[in-house]
Amino acid sequence: MSGETRTASAPPSTISSPGATAAEPGGRRRPALRYLGTPLALAAVLLVLYLWVSGQTLDSIEQRTMNWEYIHTRVLEHLQLTAVATLLVVIIAIPAGILLSRPGARLLSPVVLGLANLGQATPAIGLLALLTIQFGIGFKIALVGLIAYAVLPVLRNTIIGIQQVDPALIEAARGMGMTRGQVLRRVEIKLAVPVILAGLRTALVMAVGVATLATFVNAGGLGDIIVNGIKLQRTPVLVTGGVLTAVIAFLVDWLGGVTENALRPRGI
Amino acid sequence: MSLSEYIASRWDLLTQAALEHALVVAISLVIATIIGVGVGMLTYRSPRWAAFAIGTSGGFLTIPSFALLGLLIPFLGLGWGPSVVALVLYSLLPIVRNTVVGLKGVDPAIVEAGRGVGMSAAGVMTRVQLPLAWPVILTGIRVSTQMIIGIAAIAAYVAGPGLGNQIFDGLSRLGSVNALNSALAGTLGVVILAILFDLFYVVIRRLTTARGLRV
Amino acid sequence: MFDTTSGGARIELDGLTKRYPGQAEPAVDGVTLDIPAGELVVFVGPSGCGKTTTMKMINRLIEPTSGTIRIGGTDVLAMRPDELRRHIGYVIQQIGLFPHLTIAENVGLVPGLLKWSKDKIARRVDELLELVGLDPASYRGRYPRQLSGGQQQRIGVARALAADPPVMLMDEPFGATDPITRERLQNEFLRLQRELRKTIIFVTHDFEEAIKLGDRIAVLRESSRIAQYDTPARILAAPADDYVAGFIGSDATLKRLALIPVSVLSPSTSTSTSTTDGLPQIAGSATLRQALDAMVAHGRQEIAVDGRVVTFAEICATVTGEQAGVAGERPVSGVR
Repeated sequence: MSGETRTASAPPSTISSPGATAAEPGGRRRPALRYLGTPLALAAVLLVLYLWVSGQTLDSIEQRTMNWEYIHTRVLEHLQLTAVATLLVVIIAIPAGILLSRPGARLLSPVVLGLANLGQATPAIGLLALLTIQFGIGFKIALVGLIAYAVLPVLRNTIIGIQQVDPALIEAARGMGMTRGQVLRRVEIKLAVPVILAGLRTALVMAVGVATLATFVNAGGLGDIIVNGIKLQRTPVLVTGGVLTAVIAFLVDWLGGVTENALRPRGI
Repeated sequence: MSLSEYIASRWDLLTQAALEHALVVAISLVIATIIGVGVGMLTYRSPRWAAFAIGTSGGFLTIPSFALLGLLIPFLGLGWGPSVVALVLYSLLPIVRNTVVGLKGVDPAIVEAGRGVGMSAAGVMTRVQLPLAWPVILTGIRVSTQMIIGIAAIAAYVAGPGLGNQIFDGLSRLGSVNALNSALAGTLGVVILAILFDLFYVVIRRLTTARGLRV
Repeated sequence: MFDTTSGGARIELDGLTKRYPGQAEPAVDGVTLDIPAGELVVFVGPSGCGKTTTMKMINRLIEPTSGTIRIGGTDVLAMRPDELRRHIGYVIQQIGLFPHLTIAENVGLVPGLLKWSKDKIARRVDELLELVGLDPASYRGRYPRQLSGGQQQRIGVARALAADPPVMLMDEPFGATDPITRERLQNEFLRLQRELRKTIIFVTHDFEEAIKLGDRIAVLRESSRIAQYDTPARILAAPADDYVAGFIGSDATLKRLALIPVSVLSPSTSTSTSTTDGLPQIAGSATLRQALDAMVAHGRQEIAVDGRVVTFAEICATVTGEQAGVAGERPVSGVR
């Protein structure tokens, strides 16, 4: 596990299990300044990085990594891994979570969540290593590792989000003559949306983090730059890789936050 | 060589790695608890400062662990240094947040009663508020532990201690006989360590929770 | 859907029983009850007596173990439950407005399920908001969280009325509101019911509320067994047994007086010839209890009502003289 267990910002609530921390519906409306603040700060960080690297004289080893094409490719690989993994997580985890939230799965869902929690204790790097040793290297292997990690928060938040819907609302909906399917579609899922989105945001940030480890299974990504920096003991390379990765993580988290606010049903 | 043979033949090395793994996690947690509970105590009264503290410690968690470890090398070199600092930073959020929430959750009437019988503010904090908030804080520490046990495995790449070395050994010997054994031993070791830590917290929780809160 | 008269439909329960597996006592044991169309019947009893279970069997949120339910002559158990519920208004204590839908969307939900046209739903929503006293223009676009508790429960009632169901089930609908709001909601609701004449089953554990709202009251004991089913006045005047009497409390007479308007004392029965000068005044719409209250408060035996005098003796005569009769019997046309 790589620790990118994201937590939704305000309002404080206790954290009782890893990855469950984002299960918070609601949250304050952020002023527009807050929307712009993060990208502006990140842009400033990138500018400082650029100016600092430009001021350095790079030796030939450093130049092999520190050129636009190399960096560009690694960033694209990283984003691609993150995006594809997240997409697959959405496709897998949300329907599975909905199924597990049904009354028929009342006994099954704690078992699945327990297993998933145990799986969460498995270190991401260990899982990737085992996958590679057994099945070989490459993009697909990295993808499997990413998905295995990012599924949990979405699955858990989908189950919790639906289960925490006020029973009185479900009774009211049933009492009005909605069918079970209508109650699920029009009430339960709608009201779970903020919680599901929070889980998705956690998953996104986790995916960015685990994707840095894709370098160890030859699947590229920004981990390549960091590894180069460590192996070659070249600080500019190391800093560039680290800062770029962090900036992407913050950016993805910010995008997740913006999407969360945009998709949250009004009135909640 | 089967996994059991592998483990038997390298028992000393593995237990040594597991102990170091546990040690680096424990050291990081002690530091993080001191910082996190302290920050929580200082900020819980002011929603603005509490939000700032929680936001900042949440920010650390957003940074991918491998990137953070890499960024610490230019300042701290390789080895235990960057490992401990990174693990402390990752541990902060659950501890800070649960401290704030735990302290806020203490009934103001109880605090007032403490002041009323003549206890100082510090006395009320150490003898009333912290003990009452402790179960919540402990939960935060436990969550942090579960998180950083896994992250500590990555620290092996920056020459940190612990079971991560087994995993990276396996990766570097891709194709050799013991690659799988090595990675498996490291990975399972981390999982077992996580379970042991969790059991440890069950005991700690019973021992350190005020008796009145348990009945 | 159901045969209706005057806006409501008759409800007949026959031997209605609910047993849960593993429980010796049935939760509801053979309830037989005939509720005339257009009447408001209150189920009152201690918590856990099965009154809510009985009510929920009528819209089949709980399926009966045995017995029959007829609404307007139609066998309810032969219908599709979802379809049935769309024709029965349902109001619960927690209100249950959907927070992600606007007020208009909440109120228009059942008509939507019944596939009404958009125009018709919009018109109906405005009509209902007017009916419950909330200005459609300013409320239809709001979300439930933006409303006070009392306003939310008004919307809850409007939502239940949306498809003009002949029958409404109300489960302690005003139970969660503060006393002042509750009183106002009760009064508004009575006014509404006088106009609509729905058949309503209203569950409460508050006997005062039962007396105030009910055309009839079914006092229930455990397993929903009916201790007494009668009009409020007759229950107050002649409780069937100690259980019912215990429910009424020690001020049955005062409660009865609260049901009788001062207007039943016709001027001809007024024996006093003294003038109203200097007497405490109360309104003609007041009840005998309010009249008595005013007398006690001012230490007088007489008070003035709309320019004539009402005496303490007259009030006593109303109670004692008509013990078994119509005193407090609410005329169907209802002055409340």
